[in-house]
Amino acid sequence: MAAGIGSVGPPLALSADGGPQRTNNRRHRRRVDLLPYALVTPLTLFIVGLALVPAAFTIVESFFRIQELNPPDRFTGLGNFKRLFSDGAVLASLGNTGLYVLIGVTISTVLAIMMAITLQHKFAGRSILIAVLILPWALPGVVEGIVWGSMWDSNTGFFNSLLTSVHLIEHYQVFLGQNRLLTIFAIELVQVWQITPLSTLLVLASLQNIPGELYESAKLDGCSSSSLFRWITLPLARPGITIAMVQAVIVTLNVFDQPYVLNGAATTGASVTMQTYFVSFQNLDFGEGYALSLLITVVTLLISFVVLKLVYRPVEF
Amino acid sequence: MTSMRNHTRGAVLVAGLACLSLIVAGCSGSGGGSSASTQTKGVTITVALSFEPPPRAALDAFTKSTGITVKWTNVDWDSLQTKISAAATAKTYFADATDVDWSRVGQLSKLDWFYPMEKYVDTKAFAADMPQLNSFTSNSHVIGIPYDASFMVTTVNKQLFAKAGITTLPTTIGAYTKDLQQIKAKGVSQYPLNIPFAAAEGLSTYWYQTTAAFGGTILDGKGKPQFATPDSAGYKAAQWMTDALKSGLVPPGNINVTDSQGSQTLMAKGTVASIFSDYSGNVGSLYDLPASSTVVNQVTYLPTPGVNGVATNLGNPDGIGIPRQAKYPAAAAKFIEWFTSAQNQSDFAGASGPDKVIPGFYIPSRSTGLSQLTSKGKLIEGAQLSNLLKTSKPVFPEGAPAWYPQFSHAVYTNLHAAATGSMSVAAAITAIANTANQLSTGS
Repeated sequence: MAAGIGSVGPPLALSADGGPQRTNNRRHRRRVDLLPYALVTPLTLFIVGLALVPAAFTIVESFFRIQELNPPDRFTGLGNFKRLFSDGAVLASLGNTGLYVLIGVTISTVLAIMMAITLQHKFAGRSILIAVLILPWALPGVVEGIVWGSMWDSNTGFFNSLLTSVHLIEHYQVFLGQNRLLTIFAIELVQVWQITPLSTLLVLASLQNIPGELYESAKLDGCSSSSLFRWITLPLARPGITIAMVQAVIVTLNVFDQPYVLNGAATTGASVTMQTYFVSFQNLDFGEGYALSLLITVVTLLISFVVLKLVYRPVEF
Repeated sequence: MTSMRNHTRGAVLVAGLACLSLIVAGCSGSGGGSSASTQTKGVTITVALSFEPPPRAALDAFTKSTGITVKWTNVDWDSLQTKISAAATAKTYFADATDVDWSRVGQLSKLDWFYPMEKYVDTKAFAADMPQLNSFTSNSHVIGIPYDASFMVTTVNKQLFAKAGITTLPTTIGAYTKDLQQIKAKGVSQYPLNIPFAAAEGLSTYWYQTTAAFGGTILDGKGKPQFATPDSAGYKAAQWMTDALKSGLVPPGNINVTDSQGSQTLMAKGTVASIFSDYSGNVGSLYDLPASSTVVNQVTYLPTPGVNGVATNLGNPDGIGIPRQAKYPAAAAKFIEWFTSAQNQSDFAGASGPDKVIPGFYIPSRSTGLSQLTSKGKLIEGAQLSNLLKTSKPVFPEGAPAWYPQFSHAVYTNLHAAATGSMSVAAAITAIANTANQLSTGS
């Protein structure tokens, strides 16, 4: 009979005929089996109450027209979704967010791999470097937006001052708000600065699982550094890279603080979560807000699934 | 074995208690809201506003005289508006008294999210002493009581104007524009005018004031746009603002500069010579403070130049009201009466010394409070401000429409796009007008 999880019964006692005394142990095993369920129940209730129930509510309400200024609430089927897809501002925000994801995931993943490789082996000051690396991750997005906003500022910013002083540009440039691609790139760089530390740690954790013997034997066989990277490091770090990319997808798809602080409500850089906020709390159209939230969730799941399928490979040592 | 059983029982008991507490916590805030009490003594009210509280001594004196304890919560303005919407929609209590912005009055009135103040205070008596009370009245109900007399006003740096050889300050918008061009031509300031073109509320209010200077209004009483045709004041105002940027009167980087950034980093540093639609009180609270400005004693208020002479100034006051989910509305009303009394207002603005000041509070909403402040010499250019306040008008004479936030969003995003060149002024105006038409007809 298989033991339950966590069952640590008393040593088997012998019955009068010398066989194992089972009745007492069976009763004891049943009691012990309740324990793990009891311990995870609070957390389960927490997750169900704070995540699953609101998610179910969002799915249901996204098919209702819920406008505070135009009661009553009524079933509208796909009406909210149709209105969203005919709203130019929403479509622009979807396009902007797509660019944020593309730029953010690409750059943060590449940088994370490079930094993780640098930190893979011990060297003097490595711990300090890791501590400094984590700092941007610890800062709130709003604070980062304010700091970088002053650096990108077109009238008094650091980058303009630097570039004019080294004569790379003749006069101050407008980095934010004028050109859509430049605006999105400048905003997303700020988010990349924030999320790359976590990605680095995730990839680094994977790298540190790789046995050193693999590298040694490869070197003995005459492998170059680039071959080591291509045939050993990269494949074996795939689990960590996958997690890093999925978390980058989630974070960039839900970007709000940086574009809001750096570029306000301008359509050149508004993200889809910003649009959800405007629709819900400015327009007081909660039905459309629910629909847009559902859309973001579905897209996040789809892209994460694609990343998993394309990048993840199980690794065994 | 017995001890193991006891441990298991203990663990299950703890887990069960944890579940129960989670369920109770989850159910306790759900949907019910709070039932209002008429109690005014021995209660604690929560006041949520976007600035620092009055001095402790003042609040203690209020508690001693009324028996009401005040718990002050300082929340930034944008977050506060979101909180108000979220709490009202969920019918959940978060404060007994909170912000009522002039622009939200129509919305708050239609949604009935706030108590009508005439239920608790004598608003007719207030009206005589509060020129901007009208901005908080919708459908004959007063939704909030103004606690400051903020309005839009033109500011100029006299020294920069004088350096350019301008000895008489302009009274018409034509003369004002020429003076700015002269300041630029003479090399006194490369970009003499600040217009905050960031896609934010400050751009909307700037356009409203400029439209008033061109002799028009934004919406009529039914919410229909009054700016859709090229010969209308609003269209001309939008064109003037965009042309000012394109002709080099406004710094190119202002594409992403908000109203407060423009005041703090451009006007206060002597980079620009004027802000056509600035905020009342900025001279005393910003430009004349050595810690934040390099143009101390150089900036003055200018009666806003209009098409044919001095134009009217539009008010954008802040108010305080009582949400429907307040626990102690009567007590909150007593606080509001105290907070907006003439004596307290002038004290908070500095009439009785620094110990009674609320940082950032400069212009009382009561005319008597303003007079007290001015007579004690505590309000810089107080006489000028008092005169301008007397003739100030609300942005929407019939009250801000219920859909104002959505309309304002259309205003600032489209005007911003026109400034960046991604759409023409005509297209921007058309987009804004279409939004107003859709919203006013409820489509």
